[in-house]
Amino acid sequence: MKKIDPVVLKETKYIALWTLIFSALLQSVFLVIGKWDYTVLLGNLLTGVAVVANFFVMAMDVVRAVEKEEKEAKQTMKLSSSLRLLALGLVVMVGALLPNCFNLWAVLIPLLFPRAAILIRPLWDRKKGREEAEHEE
Amino acid sequence: MELAIGIILGCCALGAGICMGIGAVGPGIGEGNAVSKACEAIGRQPESKSAVTSTMIMGCAIAETTGIYSLVIAILLIFVAPNVMVNVLKSAIGL
Repeated sequence: MKKIDPVVLKETKYIALWTLIFSALLQSVFLVIGKWDYTVLLGNLLTGVAVVANFFVMAMDVVRAVEKEEKEAKQTMKLSSSLRLLALGLVVMVGALLPNCFNLWAVLIPLLFPRAAILIRPLWDRKKGREEAEHEE
Repeated sequence: MELAIGIILGCCALGAGICMGIGAVGPGIGEGNAVSKACEAIGRQPESKSAVTSTMIMGCAIAETTGIYSLVIAILLIFVAPNVMVNVLKSAIGL
């Protein structure tokens, strides 16, 4: 079995952590507006796991692609992107076609969590840097 | 009435298809170009591999967001929009 690159693990952990935080936030919003039931939890779980897995596979593909020749790397990423989007589409279709098991909004909203996690990345890095500087002092 | 509902459903399906068709092409091309340039950069400076890879992973995730946005819009057009449109139509003609 191929060893997982530490960079991939680090970035995936970061995305997984923020997906978890945003998922907890989503569940609490559904609770507050009084529309929470088990379908919300299942929908969130389905897409939350799917987006983290999608990110992990993408990171693995990027690491694998940068070791190849330029043209080959380009083709690899194009293929990977198409296949991952297709897989994500299938997962969302399953969520949308089973309304008794999954809430549609709880399936769709977590798709945007990785983007939100990346958006707040500069703030997170700045805070971490400040903490490290204080620790060194 | 049936014709109007048919047109609404057809337009929603067409919109979802166009949305996914256009939205899915961009991320693939963008990620491919970005990674090929990263290969070039690593070839020039092999010691920067870790930093380039880390930035590339985040860059690819951002590039992929447009594809995910279009997926969300397509799913909404297929599963949510037809019901909303038909309800609007029914209330407009007083049914």
